[in-house]
Amino acid sequence: MAEVEETLKRIQTQKGVQGIIIVNSEGIPIKTTLDNSSTVQYAGLIHQLVMKARSTVRDIDPQNDLTFLRVRSKKNEIMIAPDKDYFLIVIQNPSD
Amino acid sequence: MLFIGSSRSKRSSLDGSDGTDQPSRTPRVLDSDGKDVTPLSLHQAESGETQAKPSKLFMEEVLSSSGSESSSSLFCSRFSTLSFETSLTSATETSSPLTSLPQPPTPHEVPREPDTVTEEILDEVVDICLTETDSVSLLDIPSTLVSEDSDDAETVRKTNIQYTELCKRRLCSDKFVAHAAQTFWGAPKDKEVQCDNIVMVDEGTVAKVWDIWDSFHNQHESPASVEANYLLPSTVDTIKGPEEDGERSDCHSFSSDPQRVLLSKSLLSSLVIMERSILTNIIHPKLAAYKGLPILKDPDSVPEDEQGSQEAEDRPLTPTLEPLWDFRCEITNECSVTSMVWNRKNPDLVAVSYGDLDSTKHRPTFICCWSLKNPMWPERVFQCHSCVTSLDFSANRPSQLAVGMLDGTVAVYDVRRPDSEACVASSSNCLNRPLHPVWQVIWTKAEMRLTGREREEALVSVSEDGRVIRWAFSSSGLDNIDLMNLGRLKVNMSSDVFSAVTPGFCIDFHPKNYGIYLIGTGSGLIYTCSVFNSKHCLEMYQAHTSPVNHIEWSPFSPDLFLCCSADWSIQLWKRGHFAPMLSFTSTQRVVHTAKWSPDWPTVFAAINEQQLEIWNLASDVLTPTIVHYNTPGAAMTELLFAPGTDCALVGGSDGQVTVYNIKNLNVGQKNQVDGLEDVIRSRLVVCSSTQGELQTDSHHI
Repeated sequence: MAEVEETLKRIQTQKGVQGIIIVNSEGIPIKTTLDNSSTVQYAGLIHQLVMKARSTVRDIDPQNDLTFLRVRSKKNEIMIAPDKDYFLIVIQNPSD
Repeated sequence: MLFIGSSRSKRSSLDGSDGTDQPSRTPRVLDSDGKDVTPLSLHQAESGETQAKPSKLFMEEVLSSSGSESSSSLFCSRFSTLSFETSLTSATETSSPLTSLPQPPTPHEVPREPDTVTEEILDEVVDICLTETDSVSLLDIPSTLVSEDSDDAETVRKTNIQYTELCKRRLCSDKFVAHAAQTFWGAPKDKEVQCDNIVMVDEGTVAKVWDIWDSFHNQHESPASVEANYLLPSTVDTIKGPEEDGERSDCHSFSSDPQRVLLSKSLLSSLVIMERSILTNIIHPKLAAYKGLPILKDPDSVPEDEQGSQEAEDRPLTPTLEPLWDFRCEITNECSVTSMVWNRKNPDLVAVSYGDLDSTKHRPTFICCWSLKNPMWPERVFQCHSCVTSLDFSANRPSQLAVGMLDGTVAVYDVRRPDSEACVASSSNCLNRPLHPVWQVIWTKAEMRLTGREREEALVSVSEDGRVIRWAFSSSGLDNIDLMNLGRLKVNMSSDVFSAVTPGFCIDFHPKNYGIYLIGTGSGLIYTCSVFNSKHCLEMYQAHTSPVNHIEWSPFSPDLFLCCSADWSIQLWKRGHFAPMLSFTSTQRVVHTAKWSPDWPTVFAAINEQQLEIWNLASDVLTPTIVHYNTPGAAMTELLFAPGTDCALVGGSDGQVTVYNIKNLNVGQKNQVDGLEDVIRSRLVVCSSTQGELQTDSHHI
């Protein structure tokens, strides 16, 4: 538990990190550093995206599975680490 | 109609075709013998009186009116019992023929009861008569046509005329009045019926490829575990929202407890990966420079000041060291770096030991494993009880790290395990362990190769008391065998000189010939020894006056080695020549370490306390090509080249490990081993001229 907390704190203090959200598999945010409305929005939208991405990967080869997803946009980068129990979402702006 | 009889020709005279009114007159058929073979009627009078009568009557009627019938001419004899309607008036008689079912024709001959079947009976000729059953009329619509020749043709004609006149009169006559009649309808009634609401639900799923695969593979598992497996998102077309899908498909999973998620191991690993990704994003250009990849400009970042970049291009390309990044975190801030080593298998992993060689100060001592992907936090931290002086990763088992400590302990750590159980083996239980500081540990491959397996590796350490020990794993930690004891060393078979206890500071095994190794001692002597001979050394090289700090074979050229010592000099030797080929001195400071570059044969680097020097033998043997001064306040203590890249790591006394990129060294692309050989050969020429003088002086002790 302590390691998780420490790592979370370290990530948060890295350069350019705008927010961290941990969402459980039902789409309910467990831990977040953003405000509520953004959190809910991210959680809902990203859940669908991850499902689609995972479905795509597994359709091509059912023994394969999605391990990491990065979405690079103009303003920032969204990194998603999916798992069967949760999603870990970090939004970073590296050129900040 | 078949007749099976004797094969006699028959003569038949049929005259019923004209349809006369004489039903009693029957045609008679006589065969050639005169026998009467008249076919009998189908309907016999014996079958019953009651039946015969109506049919007889009927027959008469039929035949009587046969003249008026057009169809009766089809019958040539009185076989048929078809019913005919003669006129509309004989409607009552229509039913009778229908009701009179055809009777089975009585056989002409009743067969005898066969009580005894004798030969004679069998041979008898029996006449069998087959007859047709009565025809059954199913529908009969009599014709309404009346022939003009019939008797009541006249009456029919009259009736017809009357009818047409009636129809004419109807139209404009008062006798006929249109009158409506009401049909009686039953009164309708509303009746209510109630039933349960039939709920209809539309459901659809998309069976994707992985869905099918999952079902196949999960059918053998228990149901509980199936639910704990990952959720199968099927696109369900229901009125419920998408949130409910998640609930429904995973109602038994454990994720409903957020605490559980936060405590799970997979979250920690995901966080580690995430941290690395974030940091890689941040230091991306530096990492690219490290790996020698071209740095791609981020199209979305703000364009830099153009003037500055132009100036940079104008400057001539001098060899420089460009600092890329530091491995630093808060726990290492107080310690100094004592040793660094790369992992043999994973080129991104470096183990760094921190501590203080000055044993009076009680500073914390530990080993950190850093990954290139995360310069802000080490992957592993191992605490040690005593200051670590030397590290080496094993080649056969890449996760094993050998550690030599100041109190004489040699230990082996497994970096895959967490800190508390990382020490796999230690020499602390060993009886014969060195009690003096171990200055270097090294893994080396054995001379013999066991069939099919890789060369066995042995751990060798050299310590202050002059012992060179080979360690082996045993049940209770490490076991040792003395390879060499420098104190009891005989250099020559002839002489009997025992040298005093000399501490061994460094050791290096020959890269090709695993049985030969070099030892640098505290008295400045360098010995070449063999693994198989623990009493004698092969050669002795004497040039240094102070302890030899580091010794290393050249990875490119056989029999060349480099050593540095506290007498401010670095010497380059060739094995067999007892005077150094080349000697390098640049400053008047203790040279902590000198290492060959793993990529460039003519390049080596050295550090003394204040500066890092990079020497390129191909360009200049007198002065170092690059001299880099460190930041004031911190001394450089350790150096490590990064194989495969242009970079070097430098460890300082402030706990900081800096990665430098060596730029513009101009080593050229040709086979550089030749360059080194050339240098050596040129020196050999010089040396040979003075060889004669030297040989008398250099002595084999």
